Amino acid sequence: MAGVRLATLMHRAAATLAAAALLAAGVVGAGILATGDAQAHDFWIEPSTFRPLPGATVTVGLRAGQNFVGDPVPRSARAIGQFVVRQGGGDEAIVGSENIDPAGFFRADGQSTAVIAYRSLPTYIELPADKLEEYLRLEGLERIIELRSARGASAKPGRERFSRYAKALLTGERTSAAAIQPIGFTYEIVPDEDPTVGLSLFRGHVLHGGKPLAGALVVAMPHSDPSVRLAMRSDANGAFAFTLPQSGVWLIKSVHMVAAAPFSDVDGIGLWGSLFSIADWASLWASLTFESPENSPSTNAKGPR
Amino acid sequence: MKRILLIGLLLLASPAADAHEIGTTQVRLTLHGDHTWSAAITTAPQALVNKLEVEARLPRSSDLGDAALRARLGELSTVLARHVEVAFDGSPSPVSIAIARLELPSDVTLPAFVVLLANGPMPPEAHAVTWRYDLAYATYSLEFAAGETGSPSSVWLEGDEASPAFPVSGDIKPPTRVAIIGQYLSLGFLHIVPHGLDHILFVLGLFLLTTKLRPILVQVTSFTIAHSVTLGLTMYGIVAVSASIVEPLIALSVAYVAIENITTSRLTPWRPAVVFAFGLLHGMGFADALKELHLPREAFVPALISFNLGIELAQLAVIAAAFLAVAAWHREKSWYRPRFVVPGSAAIAATGLFWTAQRIAGF
Repeated sequence: MAGVRLATLMHRAAATLAAAALLAAGVVGAGILATGDAQAHDFWIEPSTFRPLPGATVTVGLRAGQNFVGDPVPRSARAIGQFVVRQGGGDEAIVGSENIDPAGFFRADGQSTAVIAYRSLPTYIELPADKLEEYLRLEGLERIIELRSARGASAKPGRERFSRYAKALLTGERTSAAAIQPIGFTYEIVPDEDPTVGLSLFRGHVLHGGKPLAGALVVAMPHSDPSVRLAMRSDANGAFAFTLPQSGVWLIKSVHMVAAAPFSDVDGIGLWGSLFSIADWASLWASLTFESPENSPSTNAKGPR
Repeated sequence: MKRILLIGLLLLASPAADAHEIGTTQVRLTLHGDHTWSAAITTAPQALVNKLEVEARLPRSSDLGDAALRARLGELSTVLARHVEVAFDGSPSPVSIAIARLELPSDVTLPAFVVLLANGPMPPEAHAVTWRYDLAYATYSLEFAAGETGSPSSVWLEGDEASPAFPVSGDIKPPTRVAIIGQYLSLGFLHIVPHGLDHILFVLGLFLLTTKLRPILVQVTSFTIAHSVTLGLTMYGIVAVSASIVEPLIALSVAYVAIENITTSRLTPWRPAVVFAFGLLHGMGFADALKELHLPREAFVPALISFNLGIELAQLAVIAAAFLAVAAWHREKSWYRPRFVVPGSAAIAATGLFWTAQRIAGF
């Protein structure tokens, strides 16, 4: 019994130390991540409510923007690769009207935590070299800048395909294993514990192709205060953790980029698609939105400003 | 058969558009006869308010009702006006903004929107106008009309991108077709001479095979037909092949024709077919260059054809120069092939192989 108490105390102490370290990392990150219009925007899911009552209709807004302020993105069938809600032990397609915001709606189960998942098909875009570098630095992708330089392509426009992998967690009456299970996206943020129940420490993993990705920059932002911006890189096991300094709606996001080689399906474009794509790079944009409840232990924590 | 081929090519074409996600914002900019302009900006109200709140360092609101949204937008109207830029001949016009309409439907499956009406004066002597609105993150459409009854023109703008200059009055005329044809003819020529050394070496490789006219004509015709086909198909988005494949293969094509020149001085039966296949690749390379020049939408076909014609003229110029420099005077000499064709082809082949390795490593 004493051993269990000691283990619990040590765990709490470790969590507190980790939280302090991560908060410090967040402050540093907030300083580094000066925001600007980098011509590459975050993408996330904004449902009409994060706490639906059983049987309530939930509308699902898709947003593209920065600082967790986004423009509505209407439903576009040609862009959707997957758009589902996982609740009550099954997946159901989210329906909606073409070219309309909100992009879809469904009836909430409300019994347990539900997961809304949206995956876009890869979209080609060209960015001027300076704009590309700006956004690569902002998203912690300096490695790609070095690779472009090694290829002698630093001055060339960036030709890339971008794909969105957005998830949102809706609070239910009880937690659900679905909240901590991967959807199966090419790039995905997966929490270790269901954050909708209120956690002092948000821990999660970034997965690329179902495997942990080390060194990925992960950023957390609360909806209510754009000046709070926590950032850290995933460790060797793809793990990251944030102490969320306040309750409310949070966005956690990460961007990964890989070379878009022919016969290499790095983003769901397919082998033939990769052969006939002129993109040199594939960017993968993962996001997770959820609401941390008022009674969360994190409510009492003080965060960086 | 042609139809099957076309369907196949369409299936292989990249479906993706060259853009960010398209948002819900729409703008209509109108110039009026009384020397004023107006712009109706339709956008999502809560997102607009949140963007302005972030800039003004105010607490971020959410789910505001009609009255609260109007009040908040009223408070932030001066901040909002700073994000609308209508410039005449480069000089920004004063801007005032008001809410023309606000819709917050009670049915949550319907979109909320606000219509802002911006307006300002237009200098009487103005020639051109540009639009910029930097509060949109997604791609949005701008419709421009010179006068209430004028036929509008539309462009897609990326976020904070400035629009192209629109002519205010009749004294700014778009370039004529003749001017566009001349411009793209010249661009096509310059793309080969002096900028396209790999294409120059390929054409020299075709020339060095033999001094007889017919084999040269057969090869050049084959090459021309092939690259014209893929240049057109690529520009229309029907074909898209990665530069990581096209560029090394173009380099390899340079090496191939030169190596074959060393082994034979006769037009082999397969040479025109091989040159045709290589021509398909070169056409895709030409298209890559042409895309960077942004073909004028109103004269797409003339510009495309004249660019291709410029390429042909450059090819013929390369062959004519090579002929006049050496072949015209020495082609009958016994040393012409061993001392000129073979070493020249070897140098071209080595260059082509080097480029092939370099481009594979580079991609």
